[in-house]
Amino acid sequence: MTALLEAKGLKKTYRMGKVLVPALQGITFDVSEGEFIAVFGPSGSGKSTLLHLLGGLDRPDEGEVSVDGISFSTLNDNALAEVRLRKIGFIFQFFNLLPRLTALRNVELPLTLADLPEKESIKKAEAMLKLVGLGDRMDHRPSEMSGGEQQRVAIARALINSPKIVLADEPTGNLDTTTGGEIVQLMKLLNKEKGQTFVVVTHDPAIAETADQILYLKDGMIQKMKKGRRRL
Amino acid sequence: MRLKRIFSMAWENMKQRRLRAFLTTLGVVIGITAIIALASLGEGFRVSITNRMEQGFELDVLTLIPGTLFAGMKEPFTDSEVANITKVSNVSVATPVMQVGSVILYNGDKNVTAFVGAAVNFTEFVEVFPDRFRFEEGGMPEQIKNDTLIIGHKVNHLNETEPAFAHPNDEVNMTLTINYTDYVPIFRNYTFTVAGTLEKTGTAGLTSFDYWVFIPLETARKIYGDVTDLIFVKVSDPELSETVAEEIEALFPPYRLTVLVPLTFIQQVNSILNMVEIFLTSVASIALLVAGIGIMNIMTVSVMERTREIGILKAVGAKSRTILTMFLAEAALIGIVGSLTGVPIGYGLAHVLSYVLSGFVTPQQNHVFQRPEVERAAVTPIFSWEWAIIAVIFGILICILFGLYPARKAAKLDPVEALRYE
Repeated sequence: MTALLEAKGLKKTYRMGKVLVPALQGITFDVSEGEFIAVFGPSGSGKSTLLHLLGGLDRPDEGEVSVDGISFSTLNDNALAEVRLRKIGFIFQFFNLLPRLTALRNVELPLTLADLPEKESIKKAEAMLKLVGLGDRMDHRPSEMSGGEQQRVAIARALINSPKIVLADEPTGNLDTTTGGEIVQLMKLLNKEKGQTFVVVTHDPAIAETADQILYLKDGMIQKMKKGRRRL
Repeated sequence: MRLKRIFSMAWENMKQRRLRAFLTTLGVVIGITAIIALASLGEGFRVSITNRMEQGFELDVLTLIPGTLFAGMKEPFTDSEVANITKVSNVSVATPVMQVGSVILYNGDKNVTAFVGAAVNFTEFVEVFPDRFRFEEGGMPEQIKNDTLIIGHKVNHLNETEPAFAHPNDEVNMTLTINYTDYVPIFRNYTFTVAGTLEKTGTAGLTSFDYWVFIPLETARKIYGDVTDLIFVKVSDPELSETVAEEIEALFPPYRLTVLVPLTFIQQVNSILNMVEIFLTSVASIALLVAGIGIMNIMTVSVMERTREIGILKAVGAKSRTILTMFLAEAALIGIVGSLTGVPIGYGLAHVLSYVLSGFVTPQQNHVFQRPEVERAAVTPIFSWEWAIIAVIFGILICILFGLYPARKAAKLDPVEALRYE
């Protein structure tokens, strides 16, 4: 299997006032197509920073990220936005839906940004919402939906442009155990049935254990890598 | 992202913050209203003044008087001078006029004073002033006799409630001052037959004939000799009147005569009114600038409130330019809605203002000889598409200009920072 995502020697330091806080201190790993990877670690271990770098939301101080053979360091901001649009899907802990748009419009947003005609994009978004089990909640706004439902909308939005890879940042962190479990199951299902590649940041060992591969992150470094049990 | 979708999203955004959108737009409405109201009033004012002046002056008629105000011989024109003027190109008629001063007319036991007694060549005079010479009663006799008399409207109807002073074929006695001995005027009475009485010529001007009476030039010359006090020159095209005036002046030695060109006068008044109009609208534009600052203020707050939203958009793959366009679209929408609303309101306001103001302006009525003309001195505002389009474009541009700063701020936000924003 060729690597879909490659991270090489990623380093990132934040400046908090006068203090330099090293968030990542040299991270190297690959993700192959169809893999479900968990990045596991305590808070402050640099998980989110890593995810931002992998998704091209931020740029590393040193090192290199490439997705689908495209090296981020060669891209300007616009081109990077284009990569985020077409090749990467994001799922966040706090769902991050646009509060004033309906579920349907939220899911449709990436298609709109990709200049798909409205008729087509609505059709696709409807199908995607049905896939995540929200066929009957399309015209609801985020404030009218439960956390689990919102996260499903977010997943639908992440998948709508058929991205190469979906990056999830604590997707269950803001949900109760049962709902969280359902969300994990949904992601696993998409991974298994559609071969969708996932990189999930979590500090929930229950999720981590179901992954193909687990990256243990501590103090900005990979402590160990382990094969997961890969079960639903 | 397509502009159409961006605009429909911006529209949705505005709809969900109705009060804020309304208040921001209101500023633009007020600005555009002020501009359109003042512009259409100013335009109406200009047109009404120009119309009045055009009624008072025949634009294609030059008036030549001997000498100048300060220097030169004030000697009357000679017939050869009149003949020379006729030869100038684009002059269609040059007709001499002799002023016989104010005259008193008697018709039976009635008498009236005409302030201007003019001796004219009727045939030429009618050619020069076809619109002024409209008869209320009678008409131009086929054969001009020595005793033909035509009476101006106000001479005949000094008082509208009383019967007319004279009717056609009435025999009217006229007292003319024929000479002076030791500053004592010598009068002589002549009898004329009324050929016609004139309709009101309207607004007073240089050539309003309401207070005039006309007798044949030949008759006057028998009494006074070959005297020409002024010459009316009709030009074939009013636009050429200034050129013709220059050519006529060139025929004579300096200070020999003064040529009054109505077009020049009207153009000068027009350019003054233009300046007034521009000044008024620039004052009104300040209101629009204030509205622009309001937009900038609201949008800056809005960008802060929507920081997270911007972060989400960027994470999902929106380019900076798309974010910029989204915010500019909102500003532009405010401008479009505000301007398009402001134009009709401004035009309506102009009508209200013109009505209210007309109550304060009393029509001119203090002329010693004139009876008050009872009419409302109202100015009808004039709607000009040109002004409307300029105002709308200006309104939208101002909004976009002031929206540019907050929109750029939004576009430049760092996605990670923006996502972290609470």
